[in-house]
Amino acid sequence: MKLDRESAGARWIVRPDGCDKVTGKLNFLTDLSFPGMVYGTILRSPYPHARIKAIRTDAAARLPGVVAVITHRDVPGVNRFGIMYPDQPVLCEDRVRFVGDAVAAVAAESEEAAGEALRLIEVEYEELPVIDSPEAALAPEAPRLHPGGNVLHRTHYERGNVEGAFRRCAVIVEETYETPRQMHAYMETEGGLFVPGPDGKLAVYAPTQHGYMDRMQLARILAMPETDIRVVSSPIGGSFGGKDELNIQPYGALLALCCGRPVKIHQSRWESVRAGLKRHPMKIAMKTGVDADGRLLAHRVRILADTGAYATLGAPVLQFATEHAVGPYRIPHVDVEGWAVYTNNGVSGEFRGFGGNQVVFALEGQMDRLAEALGMDAWEFRRINLRGMDDPGPLGQRVAPTDGARHVWETIRRSSLWERRSGRTTDRRAETRLHQRDVSSGSGHVDVRPDNGGSGPAAASFSSPWVRRGVGAAMVMHGCGLGFGIPDPAGGRIGLSAQGNIQVAFGHEEFGQGLLASLQLMIQDLFACDPGDIEIILGDTDRAPHSGSSTASRTTSMVWQALHRLQPHFSRAVCERASTMSGIPVSHLRLGPGGVWAGPERVVRYREIAEKGTEGLQFETQFHFPVTPDAIMGGHYLYTFAGVVTEVEVNLLTGQVTVLGVEHAVAAGPVVNPMGYLGQIEGGNGMALGFALMEDAVMDGSRYVTTNLDTYLIPTIRDVPERIEVYAIEDLPPNDNYGPRGVGEVGSVGLAPAIAAAVRQATGTWINRLPISREQLMRPISTFLHENAPMVSVPDVGKEEG
Amino acid sequence: MTTTKTVVTLKVNGVERTAEVEPRLLLVHFLRDVLGLTGTHVGCDTSQCGACTVLLDGRGVKSCTVLAVQADGHEVTTVEGLARDGELHPIQEGFWEKHGLQCGFCTPGAMMTAVELLRQNPNPTDEEIREGLEGVICRCTGYENIVRAVKYAAERMRG
Repeated sequence: MKLDRESAGARWIVRPDGCDKVTGKLNFLTDLSFPGMVYGTILRSPYPHARIKAIRTDAAARLPGVVAVITHRDVPGVNRFGIMYPDQPVLCEDRVRFVGDAVAAVAAESEEAAGEALRLIEVEYEELPVIDSPEAALAPEAPRLHPGGNVLHRTHYERGNVEGAFRRCAVIVEETYETPRQMHAYMETEGGLFVPGPDGKLAVYAPTQHGYMDRMQLARILAMPETDIRVVSSPIGGSFGGKDELNIQPYGALLALCCGRPVKIHQSRWESVRAGLKRHPMKIAMKTGVDADGRLLAHRVRILADTGAYATLGAPVLQFATEHAVGPYRIPHVDVEGWAVYTNNGVSGEFRGFGGNQVVFALEGQMDRLAEALGMDAWEFRRINLRGMDDPGPLGQRVAPTDGARHVWETIRRSSLWERRSGRTTDRRAETRLHQRDVSSGSGHVDVRPDNGGSGPAAASFSSPWVRRGVGAAMVMHGCGLGFGIPDPAGGRIGLSAQGNIQVAFGHEEFGQGLLASLQLMIQDLFACDPGDIEIILGDTDRAPHSGSSTASRTTSMVWQALHRLQPHFSRAVCERASTMSGIPVSHLRLGPGGVWAGPERVVRYREIAEKGTEGLQFETQFHFPVTPDAIMGGHYLYTFAGVVTEVEVNLLTGQVTVLGVEHAVAAGPVVNPMGYLGQIEGGNGMALGFALMEDAVMDGSRYVTTNLDTYLIPTIRDVPERIEVYAIEDLPPNDNYGPRGVGEVGSVGLAPAIAAAVRQATGTWINRLPISREQLMRPISTFLHENAPMVSVPDVGKEEG
Repeated sequence: MTTTKTVVTLKVNGVERTAEVEPRLLLVHFLRDVLGLTGTHVGCDTSQCGACTVLLDGRGVKSCTVLAVQADGHEVTTVEGLARDGELHPIQEGFWEKHGLQCGFCTPGAMMTAVELLRQNPNPTDEEIREGLEGVICRCTGYENIVRAVKYAAERMRG
């Protein structure tokens, strides 16, 4: 189904939070202020690696307007944070390990005074040798960044006998791929408001993707009971995984408790770049072999991930990368080894796609190289190696049966964009337009690639000899949830509110993905109610129950499952109450708009029920994300699949790659919220375009060269393709009761390898490093002067048009 | 820190506002911190993101590149002043109806930029919309729906 307004019909709804967002009424947590509020700011290390010899704060504390200055000595609890391994100092004691490390923090009556106070804090450093790459970190003489050494995590997965299988391969491709330090670049930088209460409690208003996790971590740092901390975590001005870990919360909380006044912190973009998480830069070496028929036999992978100075989720990201390096393919002999290595670079952590984006770029690059070496169509090559419905998962674990891979493969095969690769297009009108453009410009055509099945339309559709076009495609298999061995709790609550609304509460957050609209649609489906009957509470530890994290493409899936668990209990209890009030037997009653109905009539309003008391009408559920029964660390049980096909235009004089069009086929179960689904894929597409073509937070000697949005370039409205289509495949196997899967990540994965394949077809250059450098594609104009005659051929328009 | 404060008077969303400000205060901080109009956002330090775009005497400006004192005596319209008499401006309708937003943080600036574009060109082509909104960064939507939102507004405004 092509996903758009027409196909969505009545399910295409406007966002419930849209009105507040277009009028400016919506308060982001960084928009909040409070009477008597002071401003917090954080002193971070100027050095990527240094010993702290002394910290003197007296002068800063004496500055008029300063109300609190804190260092590590002021942390009452555990001076560390980190979701997985708490190894990052809240405030460094004796050593800094990256330029974002916090050494002190200040609260003052004005931002200016706080900034001035930072300058008055004297820190004596002794610089230490800098480890600016994972290779340097692994060198035997490298200084140890942490007590356990420089390897945060190592993974190893092996099946079969890879070395033996390579000896039987007809074709082997070996390549090393490199991916950039991509920045989330959520438009709302990190910040929040911290309000101490008279009762010793603390209210935290700060964006995060898991309010209860923040509460637990803050309680550990502050040495306070968790129940004395309220974390309000929604709404959020973008996160993409980047705000799941603590960022400024510890400093706001410590300062507020220290001075007893509300504290506001809102980082500048430079502070965000300096201290914030990034996507793990990875070097991925793959050696992959096939037999003479093109069947994959052996696949060896070595992943080296730069996890930066501290752990956060570096280990699970590597675990995910290890699993996804095998992908949706049948490969009998596999050997994957990965290392997540500490360096003095910026901290790498959770980011939409979670390590999948990097390894899928590499894996799909291997598939394209093998197909070309075999002289096979790249998509057909994937077909003969594709997993079947009941195949085990990439790590050999049992997974929920799924035919998603086959479905998305079919959809891409039929796509008109893919047909342009080999010239088997049926889109005659588009061709005519392109030919007309060429004719009117008076330029000839170029036969670009010898290996693309001839001078098809994709090759013959540009006007200058240095402008080339190509088409490429990629497959994605993406795990949902956190995987085996990681606690992945879910839950929610439903009840009739005192005002007579169906009130649902989840610990999840709305960060733009459209959770509110998805919930509204699900609740309307389950309770046949009006939108006005619904009240939704999100992201508030005082008002919503534990629901686990809003990450890992899990939220839609988990709230759907929670509501399905809760629905029978709530409906029965409300109908029983209505039966007592109306005297109509329960068996004749059902929920409907505004209340309880019998036949064509509403017999009791929700408000009337609520007026009699809502006790006994609240229900809560707690459960766990579905996991594989096989004890394979990190192995997933539910997957989504995506196929992506793109056409690019490359200007060989400038190296500019322009993405002309993209089609995504996504298999993720039923579409709950078509607008949100489409938005996630289109948004993920834009982010992947940046990953492929422009984004890299460059570091030199472990210092950021890229410091702000003037040099960290993210796609603008002119960089994204004018044509993007999304096909949603809703089919699930019989007896699959897991419902919709999340699509928050899967749209951000496959475009980079698809672009790389298209660039190969357009230019003959293999891409093994992202973002694709213009320098790699640029050719001197003399190339075209000298090669003009042999490269330009007269278009075969007449024959094409028949 | 001694500074000489200056009194400025601006008409903001039709209401005259007077305040004593430091000469170096940016218009965006005047709007957000002095007047409490927090619909206008700051997303970068380098005037790239466009989240702070407002109308100054009816023309779009990035309010992080204007000092409050430069706006003295002028009229400023922020996102809070776009709707009139409870009726959404067509650009607001467009962004809501066509899903031109997700997290919504860039939305006020994107809408003000679009208002400026439509002032200059009431009937823009897709390409002209893309050119006109190039100075606004949205990290969520992938922009497709922003183009649709602006087209919707253009049609509405042409009647």
